[in-house]
Amino acid sequence: MSLARISGSDSGDSPHLDGADAAMERYARGDEAAFGELYDAIAPRLLGFLRKATRDACVAEDLMQQTLLHMHRARGSFIPGAPVLPWAFAIARRLMTDHARRRRVELRLFSEAPADDDRIAYEPVAATAAADDVLHARRLEQRLQQRIEALPELQRTAYRLIQYDGLSLKSASEVLGTSVTAVKLRAHRAYVALRAVLREAGETS
Amino acid sequence: MSAALRARVLAAAAAEPSPTRAALRRRNTLLGMVAVLSAIGAFVIFAALMSESHLLRLGGEVMAQQHVERPVWLVIATVGGAIGLAVTALRLALGRGGSMLGRSPRWLLYGGVLIPVSLLVWKVSCSLLFGDAMVAWPERPGERCLSLSLLVAVGPLVSFLAIRRHAPVQPALNGAVIGFAAGACAWVAADLWCPVAYVPHLLFGHVLPLFVLAGAGALLGRTLFSLRRR
Repeated sequence: MSLARISGSDSGDSPHLDGADAAMERYARGDEAAFGELYDAIAPRLLGFLRKATRDACVAEDLMQQTLLHMHRARGSFIPGAPVLPWAFAIARRLMTDHARRRRVELRLFSEAPADDDRIAYEPVAATAAADDVLHARRLEQRLQQRIEALPELQRTAYRLIQYDGLSLKSASEVLGTSVTAVKLRAHRAYVALRAVLREAGETS
Repeated sequence: MSAALRARVLAAAAAEPSPTRAALRRRNTLLGMVAVLSAIGAFVIFAALMSESHLLRLGGEVMAQQHVERPVWLVIATVGGAIGLAVTALRLALGRGGSMLGRSPRWLLYGGVLIPVSLLVWKVSCSLLFGDAMVAWPERPGERCLSLSLLVAVGPLVSFLAIRRHAPVQPALNGAVIGFAAGACAWVAADLWCPVAYVPHLLFGHVLPLFVLAGAGALLGRTLFSLRRR
């Protein structure tokens, strides 16, 4: 039985990813130079996703390297015509989950370490109207960021994959291993929560 | 993006050879052959151990029911249908539906559960056409068929897990469906060997091994397919 089946194209993702798909296809066939092209095409988005999710540049770089190495190891199993980005994000997400699990265990073992990284900076009072606006915008951004972090993991990831990483609903659903409807619902719930923060900010200002 | 990071990733990939598609296809073909040969080997060994002459040599008794002959058409129908269902199960377990992330959890879940149900329904439906095959045989609860199924399925299970080892999502579910597929292949062997179509016997000796293999597949899948940092 042939394991390789051609899938339909996933038009929801950004156009330059056609290059990533083509590079991965060439790499699967044995063109060693194509790995560099694949790296250039997907690494920035992958790193952006991991940086936002982990809030740690070193960990994000390490996880991105691991993701690309997993793709390298599994290159022979790449399906011709399959979109490469959902696959890459799915691997990155799994590695991230594994990393978070290990970190939790480490924190439990060395309980003296700080439990969380609540790094809310103190903002000095602005003297001018323009500084007030900047301060207001910063605080709003901070509150939105906090709200995003407080979302349930599934909602947060769905929101990030769609809004930050520009994945289509279909691709995001593949990354999360769920249906398009479920992703739509999770993202919608995230939007509702963020809209509430914005509404609240509008009322208080 | 740092150039040093890029160089590091490319160097790490260059230092670790990985199979190309052609190499992987050759490896998977080999694994497929191993699965078939190990299943046939296990079946032949089991049949030899359970043969009348061997049992008599060991001082055992040969039950009268062992001499029951099944109509050829019943064997052809049940085994033919089981082969068809096993191939479908293999396509479900080893195919990925055109996506690098494999089939959706719903597909895997429903497909996995349908494999033993459809095999049982097919066997019972065919046997109903030949009344004698449905006769109650309480003295044959099905422990031999259970052993045969598990013995025959071990090789295919390991081979299929090795073939489908790059499953980044739903590792346990993928492993369980692979277990069901290996069990479906073993069902063919059990069908060839066993003339009993008594439902309690079928449930214990033929259906139970599929769930045992699915459980083993889920555990192995979770361990083997899970992506861990190296």
